[in-house]
Amino acid sequence: MRWVETTTTVRFNEVDQWGITWYGHYFAWFELARMKVLEQFSLLPEDFSGLGFIAPVVSAHCEFKKPARTNDTIRIRAHLLKPQTASLTFRFEILLQNDGSLLAQGETVQVLQRLDGTMIYKVSGTLEERLESMVQHFWPD
Amino acid sequence: MSLREQEGLVGNLKELIIRTLRLEDVGPEDIVASEPLFGAGLGLDSIDALELVVAIERQYQVEIPDAEVGRRAFASINALADFVLEKGAGQQASDAVG
Repeated sequence: MRWVETTTTVRFNEVDQWGITWYGHYFAWFELARMKVLEQFSLLPEDFSGLGFIAPVVSAHCEFKKPARTNDTIRIRAHLLKPQTASLTFRFEILLQNDGSLLAQGETVQVLQRLDGTMIYKVSGTLEERLESMVQHFWPD
Repeated sequence: MSLREQEGLVGNLKELIIRTLRLEDVGPEDIVASEPLFGAGLGLDSIDALELVVAIERQYQVEIPDAEVGRRAFASINALADFVLEKGAGQQASDAVG
């Protein structure tokens, strides 16, 4: 399975009074990896808007396996599931850099809408080309 | 298109929806052909719409490009049957009736 990875360090303000990362931050870390993917294919949020579309998240899921703590270096990786419909489903894993242990895994689903909020069921034109390049990267023939 | 064929298409569309969306504990008789598919009615969501669009295109070669068209097509099972027939897939629809 192909992944796109990035790393970050857990900051003091991201942990709670028990010394472990507050659960909502994991979604922000997922976003770091997703942006790393999207920038490779000119599909960053501003690129989407420039083409006349947005891609809002309609579902997000995370399983927390092991807590991340202040100053831990973590690896966040993203993988695109092969699209069956006009949507984007990314799978994520967050691992502890020093021993590779799995801290969390999750998934987000994004749908595609025009700027006026109309959901699109079929993709065409430049957006289709760029999405296809991204799919090819994760799912080479 | 006779009423009988229309009835067959309605039944097939109900089956298609149940199969595609893996609706548990829902039989064709539970789906009221005149009720909305989304929101109230069956309570389907936007992800369900995406899956249905793919299944309908595969089965009937009818495209539903966006939610604007979808609003009409998915207004109810009856509306969807009308939409499929109107878009010229009457032959496939009849075949599917058997």
